[in-house]
Amino acid sequence: METLKLSALPEQSKQQPINHGRFEAYVDNGGTVMAVAGKDYCVIAGDTRMSDGGYGIQTRHYTKVFQLTNKCVLATSGMQADTIALQKRLKLMLETYQKEHGKPMSTPAIAQFLSNTLYYKRFFPYYTFNLVAGVDEKGEGWIWTYDAVGSHERVKYSSQGSGNQLVIPLLDNQVAKRNQQIIQGNGDVSCDQVVSFVKDAITSAGERDIYTGDFADIVVVDKDGVRWEKFELKLD
Amino acid sequence: MSSVGSGYDLYVSTYSPDGKLFQVEYANKAVENSGTLVAIKTKDGVVIGIEKLVPSKMLCHGSNRRIHHIDTHIGVGVSGFLADARQLITRARSEAKQYRQVYGQPIPIKVLSQRIASYNHVHTLYGSVRPFGCSIAISGIDQYGPQLYMIEPSGSCIGYFGSSLGKGKQAAKNELEKVKFSEITTREAIKEVARIIYSVHDEVKDKDFELELGWISNETNGVHQLVPKDIFDEAEAYAKQALEEANM
Amino acid sequence: MSFEHINFPVFGQVDYFGKQSQQQLQPQQQYTPSHGGKKNTLDPIVTGTSIIAIKYDKGVVMGSDMLLSYGSLARFNSIQRMTKFGGNTIIGASGEYSDFQSITTTLNELVTDDHCMDDGSRLSPEEIWNYLARILYNQRNKGNPLWNTCVVIGYQGGKSFLGKVDLVGTCFKEDIVTCGYGSHIALPLLRKARDDNPNMNLEQAKKLIEDCLRVLFYRDARSSKKIQIAVAGEQGIDISGPIELETYNWNSGEAAVKNFSQV
Repeated sequence: METLKLSALPEQSKQQPINHGRFEAYVDNGGTVMAVAGKDYCVIAGDTRMSDGGYGIQTRHYTKVFQLTNKCVLATSGMQADTIALQKRLKLMLETYQKEHGKPMSTPAIAQFLSNTLYYKRFFPYYTFNLVAGVDEKGEGWIWTYDAVGSHERVKYSSQGSGNQLVIPLLDNQVAKRNQQIIQGNGDVSCDQVVSFVKDAITSAGERDIYTGDFADIVVVDKDGVRWEKFELKLD
Repeated sequence: MSSVGSGYDLYVSTYSPDGKLFQVEYANKAVENSGTLVAIKTKDGVVIGIEKLVPSKMLCHGSNRRIHHIDTHIGVGVSGFLADARQLITRARSEAKQYRQVYGQPIPIKVLSQRIASYNHVHTLYGSVRPFGCSIAISGIDQYGPQLYMIEPSGSCIGYFGSSLGKGKQAAKNELEKVKFSEITTREAIKEVARIIYSVHDEVKDKDFELELGWISNETNGVHQLVPKDIFDEAEAYAKQALEEANM
Repeated sequence: MSFEHINFPVFGQVDYFGKQSQQQLQPQQQYTPSHGGKKNTLDPIVTGTSIIAIKYDKGVVMGSDMLLSYGSLARFNSIQRMTKFGGNTIIGASGEYSDFQSITTTLNELVTDDHCMDDGSRLSPEEIWNYLARILYNQRNKGNPLWNTCVVIGYQGGKSFLGKVDLVGTCFKEDIVTCGYGSHIALPLLRKARDDNPNMNLEQAKKLIEDCLRVLFYRDARSSKKIQIAVAGEQGIDISGPIELETYNWNSGEAAVKNFSQV
């Protein structure tokens, strides 16, 4: 026979004290960044939506692209608080480098340095997904793409963040000309063409990914420096 | 070995046969060479004025401050070595901060003064240290009303209605004795302080000086601050006029 | 010294009858400290609910209620959850109230140091906001967060400021800022009102905040109708006294009886 229960509370709720929610050190604030490198330029795009980790939008005006030098930008999605800490750290180190060496850090050096910085926090990582984009000492455009703990690869195009799965196949097809039967020309595209394409790509990501939207920063890096452009996305 | 200290001045921890600590007295000499400081406590506030001697014409106006804030409700005036005083100021600020952390309210002026005095005092006890070559006037308003304390290198801590330090100390004291402390307002006291400093300034020995005035009263909402420009100018004009009249 | 075996009772969690009372002597997995005997904040105890704020044409308005809850118990009902820092900044906080008091102490020290410096410059609202964000982020890195979401408003040099910081260090500036239930209930109302009237004046903004707090009072079970409104604008910064929100008249029992007898 079952023993008589004296408790007015159901057994299960008794076993587990009510929890207001234990501390979560990480939040994913979402957002998509992407970059395409050309012969002598780079185009970087990032949306400006910052979500609260769920369905809420905290702000529609948070810029994910951060200028590091005249030839290099950093685009970061993931946890905003970590992003800010990472940006502050890089900015400090780049200023120190400039003062010690009398010149700004080169783009490939920044790329390696970011990897070291991320790996240094291997066991308590910055929850950030980065792209370093810029032109190297020869003036050629390159992208470096990272995971949260510093693995990186030098590529010609990449995307990171909540909408990356939507953007990358598009880049594969349109930039690398994958799965295309007929390829016209030598594959070189102008900067303006890439800007236009990147706008389409991020608009499409915003269409399907709820963490992407509001506005986009379109940034062009070439030998003349860094140019910014604001581009409207859907607010829904 | 000169006959001045007869060997009794080599350590702070050594008394002379007639019961003096020569090192402490030398520290007081450092204060006596410094510009005059005058302080007055009134019913509702305290004023500190300092004759800041200007060693070079190239010095920026307002540099080498001798009046400092310790907390919102406390300010100090310094006579003697500025570098030594800075040590006391830093200590006073951390004492004030610590008191707030522990008791959740502003530190009473008397408590702060006694703690700084103790800090001075321990520097008269050991051979490894020297006394601070400065005296400070601590002014402030707390739950007991306006307060004025003078701290000396010996570690003494004495409350006053009005007091003075530095070169013109004696002349200033004579002037201060005429002030009716229980009657005048803090605003009037500012003028009085300015007048006294101008009157005791020795034009022959020290050419140039800059007047520095700090006050705290009901008018400043119990916050210590430098005297604002309009009131300062008025007080300085009054002091200059009084000086001219006296010289005529 | 370890306090692991002590289970601090929280209203709604106390087991008055069952065998758990005996089991409580055993250390619980739930409260394992991250290192040594040191205990970190793993959940908030005495909490405040939403803070909401919006910019108007020449400043910022922030509103909050005055309730502190202890679990589901309405524990303290007349506590100010907004504090002034220096002459230009007001911070409102939701979440653990003791953590907010600790933040208040720290920031007041910063402001006092700034006063002592007396170099003619004063900490701006943005500087205080940034400093606060660093405090919260560093605490979260230690696994010992200050369990608050803070809304910072201010006005200095003809410019208004509105920003937010949360317990993991997320920080941003916006024209509309909300937290807690405010983000679900008040935020859409505030966004719509601002879209309809982008240049609202102080009176309109105050009314809007009050209306939103009323809606929050109706729906958020951890809110109260005793509120305060803080303003940072040309005329300086100010936190109002307690305001009792006008709500639906709940004394309907008497009225209903009268109506019935009249019928």
